[in-house]
Amino acid sequence: MRGPILLVEDNEDDVFFLQRAMKSAGLNYPIVVATDGQQAIDYLSGAKEFSDRAKFPVPELVLLDIKLPKVHGLDVLKWIRSESSLQTLVVVMLTTSHLEVDVDRAYRLGANSFLVKTSASEKLERMLRSIHDYWLQLNHPPPRLPNGNNGQKQ
Amino acid sequence: MATENRIGNLDPVVSHAHFAAIVESSDDAIISKTLEGIITSWNQSAERIFEFTAQEAIGKSILIIIPPDRQDEEVRILEQLRRGERIKHYETVRRSKSGHPVEVSLTISPIRDASGTIVGASKIARDISARKMAQRQLDETQKKYARDLEKKVDERTAKLQGAIAELEAFSYSVSHDLRAPLRAMEQYAQALLEDYGDRLDETGTRYVQRIITSGEKLDNLIRDVLTYSRVIRSNVDFHPVEIAPLISDIIGHHESLEPSRAEIIIEKPLAAVLGNEVFLTQSLSNLLVNAAKFVAPGVKPRIVVRTEHLGPKARIWVEDNGIGIAPEYHARIFAMFERLDAQKAYDGTGIGLAIVRKAVERMGGSVGVESELGKGSRFWIELPEAAQGEAAKGSL
Repeated sequence: MRGPILLVEDNEDDVFFLQRAMKSAGLNYPIVVATDGQQAIDYLSGAKEFSDRAKFPVPELVLLDIKLPKVHGLDVLKWIRSESSLQTLVVVMLTTSHLEVDVDRAYRLGANSFLVKTSASEKLERMLRSIHDYWLQLNHPPPRLPNGNNGQKQ
Repeated sequence: MATENRIGNLDPVVSHAHFAAIVESSDDAIISKTLEGIITSWNQSAERIFEFTAQEAIGKSILIIIPPDRQDEEVRILEQLRRGERIKHYETVRRSKSGHPVEVSLTISPIRDASGTIVGASKIARDISARKMAQRQLDETQKKYARDLEKKVDERTAKLQGAIAELEAFSYSVSHDLRAPLRAMEQYAQALLEDYGDRLDETGTRYVQRIITSGEKLDNLIRDVLTYSRVIRSNVDFHPVEIAPLISDIIGHHESLEPSRAEIIIEKPLAAVLGNEVFLTQSLSNLLVNAAKFVAPGVKPRIVVRTEHLGPKARIWVEDNGIGIAPEYHARIFAMFERLDAQKAYDGTGIGLAIVRKAVERMGGSVGVESELGKGSRFWIELPEAAQGEAAKGSL
């Protein structure tokens, strides 16, 4: 069974419009939301309230915002790449601005893709459909760890 | 002259007394010594400067006023004197009876007897301690000023760097924080139209449309202001850049420049210039998008891109069949937020050409326009030309 999309986003409007666009694009892929950087780390490491992997499975893809409370998005990315079990996890940056400094740092830290949020609903739908079609259908995902716990600390 | 004549007429005894008086009253220490270095005369200034009385000094070795670490100087001086050489304005250090160093400028001349044989030396020592002290103080003051200046420059540089960092932080915040609620506003307005549009009458729909359009305008404005500030402050490095592939890339990235919407003629071969690829892309895409935008209704944009060799420089021309610009506005259009009445009907932030000018200036080039109302515009960018081979290397 494939994991959900982990959307790391603190802006509830963005969460609302992303879910709305997913729905209107006819994509009923499961999405779990972490509203700050620390929560994302907790979810990915199966810590605290996310220890039940059956209920909180390792995501197939992370949509990661940059400006996040508690732990900055790029620090979340850095942490992900420092975890041996998460090094191959697909991380797509989804943020407000394509400031060169952010794009550069994100790729250097191992982001798989960098996308800028859009406000036009049809563009957002198209973007999500592209993410879905490319990363979740066309793309060969990295092999899972044998124990299936590739989100947990080893 | 009168004085010379009078001295010349004095008898030898009077003359000797006269010169002795001059020597005695001189401000400089005047000392004579034998070739063995034994002091034979010692005037009043010598007493004052070196603190030995004439009685104490005469008959003693000149070494009494030479510091131990400089006594070899005397050997060299005596050798030069024996050769008949004169030593002029030689700055050195002597010492007084009480052991204080005395900075002096020495002039030492051989003394010859009636037969011309060198029998000794006269030494005129000018006390330059005060001058040296003043010089040291001056040097110290200069050094202090230099240090202060350096400190001030460092402080100001730090302040400036602080200001730049704040500006960076400000831009960063604008990019992320200011745009998020704006995007939400646009999105909710759009959602309102999509989900509740059937319950809005024509006026209500128009109002919501206006919210969306205003949001888009503000978003574009923020984007352009950020681009402008980035152009101002980012570091620029120069490389040879081929224009032709750059134009193709720009066309591929803008819907308004697609072949179905605009006819773009590239008059090859295009020159290569020395510039910054990011800045050039930004500048040329702004010019091309403008060229495609400012056309009369119903007219398909026709844009010609060509380059012209101008000695060591190359001029890149972007020529259109648009609405044109009256000559009196040619200088103004490159200023921030400058939008002409004729352009009000078109979307735009009024920053695009300011970005072009700033980017080109930062590359050391210049921009300009030739245009008349209704006769299209011909914008140009002038930059140092690069050899074609160099550009190929630079683009690798």
